[in-house]
Amino acid sequence: MSEQPVQGQVITSQLIASLAARTALETPGVLRLEPTIQGFLARLGPAALQNLRNPGSQNGTYRHDGVTATISDGTARIHLDIATDIAYTALNVAETVKHRVRESISHTGLTPGRVDISILAIEPQPRTKLS
Amino acid sequence: MAVDDVPRLGCGRSIDRIWATIDQPPSPHEEKCEQCQSARERLKKLTEATRSLRESDLHNTSLKPRLSVKNAIMNVARAEIRRSRRIALHGKENGTTEISEQALSSVIRFAATAIPGIHARRCHIEIRSGGNDPSGEDRPSGNTATAANEGAHLIINLRVAAAPSVEIPRTVDSLRQRISNAITACVGISAGTINITVEDLYDV
Repeated sequence: MSEQPVQGQVITSQLIASLAARTALETPGVLRLEPTIQGFLARLGPAALQNLRNPGSQNGTYRHDGVTATISDGTARIHLDIATDIAYTALNVAETVKHRVRESISHTGLTPGRVDISILAIEPQPRTKLS
Repeated sequence: MAVDDVPRLGCGRSIDRIWATIDQPPSPHEEKCEQCQSARERLKKLTEATRSLRESDLHNTSLKPRLSVKNAIMNVARAEIRRSRRIALHGKENGTTEISEQALSSVIRFAATAIPGIHARRCHIEIRSGGNDPSGEDRPSGNTATAANEGAHLIINLRVAAAPSVEIPRTVDSLRQRISNAITACVGISAGTINITVEDLYDV
C-alpha cells in the first residue's frame, strides 16, 4: 500500500461562502444579500445548475444567493451582492463588509484575496426588522 | 452509414421543415405535392393535440408552482432588474465596490419625495472621467473611472413633473440640493452634476 498522505480539502468554497454571507449580514447597514439566478438553480437541484456551469467553475467556486466564493491556491476570493440600509453610507458599509469578511477568512487559515461588493439596492429598513 | 439523419419525405422535404411552418399557409410546392399534403394533414392533428395539452397544463392546478417557489423566482427577477448598469465606486487591490444604477436612482427618488409638489420620473446616470482623459467621453459602468476617484464625477439626469402651484426655479434648486446631500449621506460620494428637467405639470 502507498504510504503517501491523502490530501483532503477541509475548508470548502461552500463554507467560505457561508462565512462571508453571515459576516456580511451581521454588518450594520446590510439589509440582505441579493439572490442570483445561479444561486436559485442551485437550490432547485444540482442538475439544473449543471447546465449553466462551465467546467472551470467547478473547481473551487461556490455560488449561493448573493455570494460567490472561489478558493484557488490557498486564497479565497469573494463577490457579494448586497442591499444596504438608506440610513447608512453605502460605501462605508461596503468597506466594513470587506474588512470583516477578510478578517473572517484569515481565521480559517486561508489567505483573503479580493472581496468585491456590488450594492444592488439602497432602501429604508423594513419596519418589521426594526429592533 | 447515414449522412443525414433528418427524416425526409419521398419528395426530399424534411418533416422538421413542414412542422416549423405548419401554422403558415402551404408553400407552392406543398400545394402540389401529395406527400407534403399528407404530412401536413397528420402534423395538423399533432399541432391540435399539442395545443390542447398546453391549454390543459395552463389550467392544471397540480402543475402550478408552490407559493415559495413563485416568490423565489420573483425575488430573483427583481434582483436581476436591480443589477442593471453598474457604476464603480471604489477600486483597490483587495477588491472593488460598485453600485447599480437602480440603487443610485432609488436614493435620488427617495430624496425627491421630500420636496412637495415634485414627482420624480426617469433618471439616467453617467460617470464621466476627469481631465486626464483627453477624449472627454462619458464612461459607462464597468470602466476604469470610479465615482470616488478624484476627477471622475457623476452626471445625473432627472426628469420630473411639478405641481402648477410650485415656483419651479426655487423648487428645483432645493431638489438639487436635497439630491446632492442624499447621495453624499447615503452613498458616500459627491453628486457631481445634477441636471433636472421639468417635463410636465400635474394636477394636485
